[in-house]
Amino acid sequence: MNDPVSFATEFHPSSSPIFFVELAILTLLVITSIAMLRMRRLFGVVMLSGIYSFLSAAFFVALDAVDVAFTEAAVGAGISTVLMLSAMLLTARREKPYAPGHAALAAVVCVIVGGALIYATLDAPPYGDAAAPANSYVGQAYVDRSVVEISMPNIVTTVLASYRSFDTMGEVAVIFTAALAVMLLLGIGSDRGGKEVRDVPRLVGREEEAQDLSGKPNLDDGGKAPSPKGGAS
Amino acid sequence: MMGHLILRVVIKLLFAPILLFGLYVQFHGDYGPGGGFQAGVIFASAFILFALGFGIKETQKRLPPTVLPFFMVFGLLLYALTGVLGLFMGGNFLDYYVLAPDSHHNAGQHIGILLVEFGVGVAVFSAMMTIFYFFAGREPEIHDADW
Amino acid sequence: MDFFAQLPALPVVVPFVAAPLALLMPPGRMPWLWATLVSWVSFGLSLLLLEQVWINGPITYAMGGWAAPLGIIYYIDLANALVLSLVTGIAAVVFPYAYNSVRDEINHSQTPGFYTALLLCLAGLTGVTMTGDAFNVFVFLEVSSLATYTLVAMGAGRDRRALTAAFNYLVMGTIGATFFVIGIGLLYQATGTLNMLDLHERLAGQDNRLVKAAFAFIITGLGLKLAMLPLHLWLPPAYTYAPSAITAFLAATATKVAVYIMLRFLFTVFGFDFPFLRVALDFFLVLGIAGMFIASLAAVFQDDVKMLLAYSSVAQIGYMLLGISLGTVDGVAASLIHVVNHAFIKAALFMAVGIVVLRLGSHQLRAFQGLATRMPWTSWGIVVAGLSLVGVPATVGFVSKYALLSAVFAKGGTMEIIAGFLILASSLLAVVYMMRIIKVMLEPVPTEGPFARNIAAPPLMMRLMLWIMVGANIYFGLQAQPVIAIAQKAAATLLGVDSGEAF
Repeated sequence: MNDPVSFATEFHPSSSPIFFVELAILTLLVITSIAMLRMRRLFGVVMLSGIYSFLSAAFFVALDAVDVAFTEAAVGAGISTVLMLSAMLLTARREKPYAPGHAALAAVVCVIVGGALIYATLDAPPYGDAAAPANSYVGQAYVDRSVVEISMPNIVTTVLASYRSFDTMGEVAVIFTAALAVMLLLGIGSDRGGKEVRDVPRLVGREEEAQDLSGKPNLDDGGKAPSPKGGAS
Repeated sequence: MMGHLILRVVIKLLFAPILLFGLYVQFHGDYGPGGGFQAGVIFASAFILFALGFGIKETQKRLPPTVLPFFMVFGLLLYALTGVLGLFMGGNFLDYYVLAPDSHHNAGQHIGILLVEFGVGVAVFSAMMTIFYFFAGREPEIHDADW
Repeated sequence: MDFFAQLPALPVVVPFVAAPLALLMPPGRMPWLWATLVSWVSFGLSLLLLEQVWINGPITYAMGGWAAPLGIIYYIDLANALVLSLVTGIAAVVFPYAYNSVRDEINHSQTPGFYTALLLCLAGLTGVTMTGDAFNVFVFLEVSSLATYTLVAMGAGRDRRALTAAFNYLVMGTIGATFFVIGIGLLYQATGTLNMLDLHERLAGQDNRLVKAAFAFIITGLGLKLAMLPLHLWLPPAYTYAPSAITAFLAATATKVAVYIMLRFLFTVFGFDFPFLRVALDFFLVLGIAGMFIASLAAVFQDDVKMLLAYSSVAQIGYMLLGISLGTVDGVAASLIHVVNHAFIKAALFMAVGIVVLRLGSHQLRAFQGLATRMPWTSWGIVVAGLSLVGVPATVGFVSKYALLSAVFAKGGTMEIIAGFLILASSLLAVVYMMRIIKVMLEPVPTEGPFARNIAAPPLMMRLMLWIMVGANIYFGLQAQPVIAIAQKAAATLLGVDSGEAF
């Protein structure tokens, strides 16, 4: 802060107090991801991924991308966490000890990819630069024109649902396909016939609880008991 | 099952406001943050919360899994057919202006966006519920020890 | 509605609207009939579009009426129109073929979902092919990819290894898509636009680290999608364990569309103004040749016919990359010709294998023992398509090998001359692995073992569709001129973006 003049003449992100908030959130993101990598209990990993999503949502708020933050909080932290938990209940509670075979290669690939991303940022326009292509060209045109052409206050909605609504239709199709995939792979007529399963491996590492459960008969059929391979249902 | 009494009471209290908030996000997306994606997820989260507290069977009594494919198809088709409507009214695919050509305040755009966002909301809600039902429905019941 | 003005939207819109409807149909014949009908309509529309583009030149269609760069546009020149006609054409033959095979391999109650996924896959592939918007490519690539992963996993009813194969494919495909979208993001950061033609204009003169990294990410991502050599490991198991009809459809379309997108990004978006392009092309030369040999060699030692043909597909992608790497109109045209011709070859071969699987329940080489006497029509189909794969005159394989060789020798560098001889050498490997299959087929019918049983004649519909595809191998081998002419003109348009002729 020795040279206030340069800050006054040109925009510099570090001059705004929100910069420190962003820095703090990014630091927390890194810490969370390292914790996720080191954690072996999947329940903890799922919870941490929820935290990761909330931190990202907070970061998006700091970047003034409220719509994205909203989505991230609802989808990333909300639904995905529940779905991950459901998937975890069906599979295993602990990560399997990894086979060290390909670890070296994977590490090299990760370093290269990370390096490439950092390499890219070296020539990227300064953060928050109003003259950067992403802010000045089409982005500016949306801001200027949507008021006149669509007259709707939320520009994000106009871009998503009108200017680029064909993309959004594709995204809906992606979600539709995802649900269809789950239906086909886990549902009636699928390989396991949609019947509830209790995979043995998920009890590995929880022997004491396995003992508990083995005493109880599974009376409940989970609400649906379609005939395993029946076309009649 | 008298466990989780407080949890269940709270869920019952929250259920309707969450749905209401979902509707608000859905239809206020033109003015504030939000839209079909978020609304669909919020709507689904109300039912998922209900399922966590009352069990999957109780939820499926209220929202049978058999209706979900119809919702999914309806949502996606509402979007696509809004586009096709544009085709038949003389515009390009997904052209909303032709929906209300005489409007001076872009009413066609507003109608179009409202329709497609509603399609998104329905499709996302039913897709999320489908995925949740198929995952959670395979486990008989989530035991306390499992948490 | 002015039909011809709206024509560019229809090959995507028709399967897209039809797909969800199939989900609500009763299981059995009806979803199949619906999918078949839709594939025929799409094929007809694509041919009309191809004709329009051939007569009138490139067509631009603004989605929602929003012109580029604000909106998403469809930009259709001969390259798109050709690949689009190929994709819908293959669908129009494979979908009717699918009925018996799907009835055998997929649970009855799942047929509506199955055909919905198939139609979504078709809609995704046509969407990717026609769009002129870089991000729209990603969206529709995801639609088709997600549907594809599901369809591959549906092979689990017959062989549970399909699940592992689909999971591998899912992970690799998703990494590819992520790389691709990172690249698009970096390009947006550098230019502020997503429209391909606009990107090209605004990238002119930019040779900074941001753009270089974007280029690398996009090429790697697409490399994963098209199974470029070191990134090909997902392909053989996915093709092997997928349901028969799905293998025939995917082998002929999915990687082909990825090759087309690669061409689009290399030449339309980046172009020769971008110095880094030359480096990538040199890489493609090496990877293409390596792919031709390593994958062909791997194919020779397979005992599973589907696995063998899948490795052969990886090898054939090597030829396409080699054509691209030349960077000449002839080279790119040869690549496009091979995209079309190889689709005919592999669709025919996998369709034939599907018939064998239907009757004998296996795609192991042993199951093909005595096939020549048991299923003469199917066997002849395999022989003709196999000869086409090797590159025997009067088949499409010869046309594409010839085009590739003349392009290579026309370029005339030392590396290229060597590459030309290597193409011939690798064709010999194709002779070896096809001869292995044909030799087993000519052996007497087994009298003991799991395959020593009487089998009924294959369903007429499957044989008919197989022979339409085999017929395409011969017909376009004799009447090669239309495809060559379209490919030449398409390649000129793709590369001509730089000289400003195209627009």
